[in-house]
Amino acid sequence: MVAPPDNDVLWARTLHVSRGGTPALTGISVGVREQEILAVGGPRGSGKTTLLRCLSGQLVAQQGEVWFNSAPVHTMGPLVRERLRRDKFGWIDPQPRLVPELTAWENAALPLLLHGAGHRPARKAALEWLDRLDIGHLARKRPHALSHAERQRVAVARALVNEPTVLFADEPTAPLHAADRAHVLRTLTTAARSHGITVVLATHDAGVAAYADRSVSLLDGRLVNTVRLPADAEAEGAACSLSV
Amino acid sequence: MLALRLARGAHPLVLLRRLAVAAASAGTGFLLLCALGYALGHPQTAGSSALRLAWCVVPLAATVQFAVAVARTDPATRPRAALFAAGLGPARLMLLSAINTAISCTLGSMLALLFFLHLRGDIRGLPLDGAAAELLGAGRPLPLAAVGTLLLTVPVAGTVAGALALRPRTVKSGRTPALAPESTGPADDEPAPPMPQPAGLPWGVALMAVGLAVETYAARETATGFPLPGRLASSSAAVLGGWAITALGLTLAGPALTYLCGTLLQSARPGAARLLAGRALQEESRRIGRPLGVLCAVAAAGLAALQLYGGAAPRIGPLTVLGGVLVGGCAVLTLATAAVEARQSRADTTTALLQLGAPVSLLRGAAGLRALALLAVFSPLTWLVGTLASAPLSG
Repeated sequence: MVAPPDNDVLWARTLHVSRGGTPALTGISVGVREQEILAVGGPRGSGKTTLLRCLSGQLVAQQGEVWFNSAPVHTMGPLVRERLRRDKFGWIDPQPRLVPELTAWENAALPLLLHGAGHRPARKAALEWLDRLDIGHLARKRPHALSHAERQRVAVARALVNEPTVLFADEPTAPLHAADRAHVLRTLTTAARSHGITVVLATHDAGVAAYADRSVSLLDGRLVNTVRLPADAEAEGAACSLSV
Repeated sequence: MLALRLARGAHPLVLLRRLAVAAASAGTGFLLLCALGYALGHPQTAGSSALRLAWCVVPLAATVQFAVAVARTDPATRPRAALFAAGLGPARLMLLSAINTAISCTLGSMLALLFFLHLRGDIRGLPLDGAAAELLGAGRPLPLAAVGTLLLTVPVAGTVAGALALRPRTVKSGRTPALAPESTGPADDEPAPPMPQPAGLPWGVALMAVGLAVETYAARETATGFPLPGRLASSSAAVLGGWAITALGLTLAGPALTYLCGTLLQSARPGAARLLAGRALQEESRRIGRPLGVLCAVAAAGLAALQLYGGAAPRIGPLTVLGGVLVGGCAVLTLATAAVEARQSRADTTTALLQLGAPVSLLRGAAGLRALALLAVFSPLTWLVGTLASAPLSG
């Protein structure tokens, strides 16, 4: 086993995870360098979300190790992992998952408030981020009054507001139209680059992977480098029929 | 059959809630049967027997309210993806919940009948055989139709009220019905619009004032028209009417006061805990506020009774005690069930917060803040209403 390079902020070694008897990850090793945008590609069901959940400490792999800045995530207790997630990691879901009774800026400021920041600085930071994502004028509206793309942008602002070390984005643009998709991705990657935030981006879309510095591909829970993915990502979950 | 099959696999807490409904139904059924037994034993005093039956309306209302609250929180009857996939829409779910309520209440009624027959001396072989034989009119044949009618009252009322509360209704554009659970289907990802502010405060306060005024006015005359069975001091019909108006006012004001609590809690630069606690309270004000208002009214009535009769150590009959325990217990359990329902409806929010890395202690702290705020507003109100209600009677 080769020692990982020094500038890896996050790396995983031989992760094995099985969900309900089906192996989801089989021996994955991956390193994420500092301030890079890493795309994790692969069709649906290839283990992208499981890998991201392992890396972000939401899920502990049955075998294998996850290290963040030379600290072992896989041996941490749930409380320590919770604090790590709150302090160092950001997470964006395919669905925005905003708190419906809070306004847009309160949703975006929530990580800072959870952190114990004062009301006024949290509000200021959240408003600045919403402005950067072109939804500053919607800051006082509640999620039910926003369109889906606007909600997803609030979710992006919420993930970026406490300037995490690593941002995990799990199919952040899956439910959006093509135009909204490009806009959300562009703002996300631009903000990450300007603030030196490392991004791990799971996507089944080859177009999304173009925004990344580096890509790794998963197929049935394994890393594939040389094998071409079946009919690329357009055929969602379609098995390769050429081999028959 | 499906209702029974789902009930068999249910969580023990859910079964416990249904058992509580059965117990409440048993208590109310027993009170109704006791009124019948009294009427059988004392055919010459028809008015007094009718009065006993009329007093049973209060425990009956409390039981029905509790049964509806339990039916609304029952996980077996909430929209679930698995049941939807099997083809069970809102209408069938309503049917399922009605069957559940009917089973619980009928079980309670049967228990009440057994206990009644046992105390009357018709069933032998256990301690307390025929302990109240002469009081319950032993020796005379029980009229079967009357027993059937009385025992069916609670199951029918509970089932109909539960079905009405859970009936599938069309969602008007942009607004969900105020108290309906998501009866249109499994929750989608669209966030719900905020609940409008409940507008019952002026009406509630006005009704409370009118009720207390009527009571004060009526207390000057010493008419004895509507005595509570069980040797409580005489109370005139006007005093009771005034008290009923006050209770109605409290129930109406409950949601608005809860909303006000939420507004106060999240005002003035809140941190995360106060913000989440206050907004959740605003959102759940209707669900929590109404049973809270009812509990407040019951507690105020208890307080007034305590202030009136507490010193003299009155000889309160066992049936009055049973009725009081039933009403108080049902009010408390209804509020607890409403809190469970509110928690169920906020499960998505809780998941989202936990995924953000919010510590569990913060969520618990927010829940504690909510309870404290409600306690701080409603306990002085209960004390005030109870004292005001008892002041003219004791003076």
